[in-house]
This record gives sequence, structure tokens and C-alpha cells, in this order.
Amino acid sequence: MEDKVVVLLKDTGVSNPDRTEDFYSEFLNYLKKKDLHERVQVARAEFAGIYNKGVVMKIWPNNVIYSNVNTSDFEKIVEKTIVENTTIEELLHKDVSRTKRVVLRNCGKIDPERIEDYISAGGYSSLKKILKGMNPDEVIEELKESGLRGRGGGGFPTWMKWNFARQAEADEKFIICNADEGDPGAYMDRSIIEGDPHSVIEGMIIGGFTSGASTGYFYIRAEYPLAIERVQKALDQAREHGFLGERILGTDFNFDMEVRLGAGAFVCGEETSLIASIEGKRGTPRPRPPYPSVQGLWGKPTIINNVETLANIPVIIEKGGKWFSGIGTEKSSGTKVFALTGKVKNSGLIEVPMGVTLREIVNDVGGGIETGAELKAVQTGGPSGGVIPYEYLDTPVDYENLQKLGSIMGSGGMIVMDETDCMVDVARFYLRFCVDESCGKCPPCRIGGYQLLDILNRIAKGLGREEDLEKMEKISEAMVRASLCGLGQTAPNPVFSTLKYFRQEYEEHVKDRRCRTGSCAELMRYSINQERCTRCSLCFKKCPVNAVSGDRKEGYTIEQEKCIKCGECYEVCRFNAVERE
Amino acid sequence: MNNPENSEVRNSGMDQGENWIRVGMSTCGVAAGADKVYEHLKKEIKRNNLDLELKRCGCLGACYAEPLVEIKYKGLPRVIYGKVDEGISEKIIEEHIIKGRVLDSGIYEFNTNRF
Repeated sequence: MEDKVVVLLKDTGVSNPDRTEDFYSEFLNYLKKKDLHERVQVARAEFAGIYNKGVVMKIWPNNVIYSNVNTSDFEKIVEKTIVENTTIEELLHKDVSRTKRVVLRNCGKIDPERIEDYISAGGYSSLKKILKGMNPDEVIEELKESGLRGRGGGGFPTWMKWNFARQAEADEKFIICNADEGDPGAYMDRSIIEGDPHSVIEGMIIGGFTSGASTGYFYIRAEYPLAIERVQKALDQAREHGFLGERILGTDFNFDMEVRLGAGAFVCGEETSLIASIEGKRGTPRPRPPYPSVQGLWGKPTIINNVETLANIPVIIEKGGKWFSGIGTEKSSGTKVFALTGKVKNSGLIEVPMGVTLREIVNDVGGGIETGAELKAVQTGGPSGGVIPYEYLDTPVDYENLQKLGSIMGSGGMIVMDETDCMVDVARFYLRFCVDESCGKCPPCRIGGYQLLDILNRIAKGLGREEDLEKMEKISEAMVRASLCGLGQTAPNPVFSTLKYFRQEYEEHVKDRRCRTGSCAELMRYSINQERCTRCSLCFKKCPVNAVSGDRKEGYTIEQEKCIKCGECYEVCRFNAVERE
Repeated sequence: MNNPENSEVRNSGMDQGENWIRVGMSTCGVAAGADKVYEHLKKEIKRNNLDLELKRCGCLGACYAEPLVEIKYKGLPRVIYGKVDEGISEKIIEEHIIKGRVLDSGIYEFNTNRF
């Protein structure tokens, strides 16, 4: 009997209605005509992992993917590929996938709770490589060539950090993994730790060897119970296998590490606060310099790296710095993991080489806007980042470009916004987060943030004054210049960037008392259009504060004094009779 | 921009096994019900005495379609099923594994080369 063939198909076009069903039935009919339907199984897929390439077909066992298939191609596909087992070059899908998995190389492939899986995937071979034949200088040289920069947001060259710590004279040194991921909407670090904890641990051991540190701390926020459990298991296994402890792999190198939990303060992601927190003190920042790589934990030289930075280390050692610097752009090499969320069709964890554009990320990786509405802006870097408007979405993503646009790379949160998102509301949301999380040590952040939020709240309520916008810029400037740590210095970024790119929206709120998206509830006014109203009484029944008055004979009106602008009447009306302005 | 000539990142080595099922079980997957799916698959594999390896893995990244179950089984292409619940995992065992036919619904990715 001839081999079974499986055909998977899906319409990946975004503009037309989905043609998957039509193609499915037509292709089945064609197969029946050719009497091949017993041998060929056709299945419809929900998603193909390919976007905007027309109808896509995967044919197995040939394992080819055809894109932009038309019904007129059926004959060719059946004759050539299914019967004769040859490939049709002109239909072949050229994989221009924007994603590249370096950090996430093992995530979703290995069992994170089994060290054997990590080892059989090539894990700990980099550690063996450096312990057998590399000295710390060579490791730093390799990192320098790779151009790896801190993935926690700052973008400081990793080799420099390691080198400072290495050159510092001290009887004891430390290395800390910063897994206190606190940005709203970001979960890159959690996924890396949960999917591949050993790669981070291996990176830390290599850091210990290079800098001369003998103790490592894995600082994880307590809200990540599964991550903590997996790291703990991974540490135990690594110790059993002789990758941690005394005389690692038979050399004189000793290194061990333990887990420390963060108690949920956002500011503890800032390195000096994090160190204070590990020391058992209150988690507040201190002025730098001295930088932790000179004077850190318990006054000793300390390397602090982000999870993603450390997960890159084993690959760089294995493949070489040159290989790594070949990915991405000249100044920002390698890849970056983003948590893509918001109004995008396929939200999720993505890894792309540096230098792809935001538009490519949203359209090619995220599958476009979920609602079909217009893309308005992309927010990067969480509460410390800014909003990048539509016009600049073709900018290649790297540290410098994002900074120029008034945002930051940050740890990798990326929130896609469409025309229904109000920029005043967005700025208010992020600022409120930073005000809540401000530790209160320095006045610019503590007082400036509070005042800024006060003004934004007023604007959102329709009580804004003309001088407010200027005042906001002044306060923001003061916070950026005078705050003690990154939290206060970057907290005004969302305000700054929205003021810069969406000033008109602010002016509408202040002058016209109007929110074009309807997000600022208190600026809304609901009324009933008597011509469209069918007097069904649904809004009357649903109003939680009895602000709708009248009866089925006389018709209904909304009493503005009573209305709390919850929007319930607007939602329930089936005849669009409730108007909102 | 990235150079297409870059040699591929090391292969995970786990692709060599003949027959396997992987369930994405990071916090995102578990929150969507992956632990129940995993237990169910485990039970069904045992009950039917099937020769395949069931693995708990980290996150593949397609959060919109969690829980994710990736399958490579002899005679069929490698696919990822999304939004799997106990009902679908039962179908996966009956149809995909035992009868050798991919499910006609629930495939969330077949461009598996990119992972």
C-alpha cells in the first residue's frame, strides 16, 4: 500500500474573510475526483504559524509548506507533490519568520525538572569547556566580542560589568541573578526560569568562574511559586551532578548558590535595593557610584545580571562571541525576548533578533490587531518605558533607537494599542503603578510622582487646566534629573512620550472636556435617542442606580445627576439608542 | 539585520525520539488547565499501553492558545494542538495516536520548523 499523506491547510490572509472552509471542501472534492481521498487526509488548522501568506498548505510526509495557494494549483499539487513526490518551487513558502530562538532554545522542548534533558540538549557543555581550557580573560574576551548587553533594560555591556568585578580586589565576591520581574504585563523571565532553569544557572556558574565569585544568589519574586520550585529542584540536581559545590568537575573551582525571595516590591528590581533586600534590610536604593561591581552585597564586588542575560551566556561560550554578534544589529547584538500583549491577535512570548521593526513584530509575529481596528501605538519597557506612535513603527528595535523615541527597551514588555486606547488613561495607569511602588526615599520621586498623578487624574475627570500640560513637563523633567534610582528617573517616561506624540488628545481632554475613545468614564455623557428607542425598557431594568426614568408609554430619559457613567445602558441597548459622547 | 547565514542555534536534541507528546506546563499553561490535560494523557497512555514518551515542558510562547500539546508520532506530521482540554486530549489519544489521523480541529501551529 502507498504511504498515507496528510495535508494541513489554513487561510492566513488577514484582509479577506477566512477561506479555509471553501478550500477544504474544494480540495476534498478534487481528491475524491482523483480517487485519492482514502489515502490523503486533509485537516483544517486554527493557526498556521505563518501570517498573511494566503492559503497555506503543509504536505506530509514531503514536509513542504506551500503558501499563496489558489484553487487552480490543486492539480499541480496533487500531481506533482502528492503523487510524484516532487516539490513545486514557485509555491514553496520561504520562511521569513522573524523569530529566532536563542534564549528560548530549550523552552517548550525539554522537561525543566530533569537535568538529563538539559544535558542531552547540550547543557553544561559550556561550563565544561571553560573549566577544561579557558581562563577568565578568555571568557571576558569572548563576551566582549559577542557584544552582549544587559537584558534587564539598561543595556550595559555585560563584559564590562564582569570585568569590573573581576579586577576588584576582595576576599569574597558575589553574583546575583535578578529575577524580580515586576513590570505589569511582562513575564519573559518567568517563562525562561520555568522552561529552562539550568541555562540561567549555568550562566551564573560561568560568571562565578570568570569574576572569582564563590557564592551566587538567585533573587526571585515570591509571586512566582512554580519558578521558585523549579529553580530549587534544578539547583539540587546540579549539585548532585557536581556542577555546583566544591571542586566542580574535579577542578579547584568552588561555587554554590541559593535562592532568595523578593517580597513583592517593584523597587527591589533596582540593583542597589535588591542588594539591600538580600542583606535583610529595607529594600530602598542608594546612590551610585560605587557601583555594585565594585562595592555590592555586604560591601563586596557583586555582579547583578538579569535572567535573560545569563541565559545567553552558555550559548555564547558554546558558539563563540563572533557567532552571537552576527545576530542583531551592530550596537545591539543577539536577540530579545518580548512579552507581546495588548490588542494583538496572538499574544505570547516571542524572541526576535535585534533590529526587526515594531511593525514586523506586531504584524508578522503577532498576527496583527485582534479587533481589526487601526494600530495606534506600541508601549515598550513597562512603566519605565514610553509609547511609540504608529508613525515610528518602522524603526528597528534596539537600545539606542528606542531611547531616541523616548521609550526604553526595558525588560521586554510590549503592549500593542489600537485606536480605542486613550493615551491619557495609559499614562495614568503606568504612573499610578510607579507612585504605588515608589519607596519614598527621595522626594523627586515621592512628591513629583504624586503631583503628576494628581494632575492626570484631574484631566481624566474633565477638570484639567490649560497650564497643566506645561506643569506636567516641568515636574517630569525634575523627576528625571533628580531621582535617586531608575524607578523615579523613568517613571515620567509614559507621561513624557504621550505628551510628545499625542498632545492633541491631552488638549481635547483639557479644552473640550472630551475623551475620543471613551476610556475616561467621567468625561462621558449618556443620553437616549428617542427616535431609535423602542422602549424595550432594558436600560431601565439594568441601570444599577436607577438613573433611567420613564415608562414604556412615555419613553425613557437618563437623569444626568444620578448617572455614574458605568456604561451599562450603552452596552445592553440592542438598537444603538443609547448615545455616548 | 540578522544574517540568514547564521548557523542554527543548537538543536535541542530532544527531537530525535520517535514518539512523544509534550505538554507546556509553565505557569501560563497550568493556569489554563495544562496540569489536568497532562494527568489525563498520562492515564490514557497507560490504559492503552502506548509506546510514547509524555513530557512536561516549559512555555512555547503561544500564550493565546494555551494549554499547548505538541505531538510527534510515527506516520504523522509534527503538530501543536492548542486550547486543549480533557475532551480534546481524549480525542488526541483516540484519533491522532490510535487511529493515526490528525484532528480536523484544534491545530494551532504546523510551521514547527521555527521552534
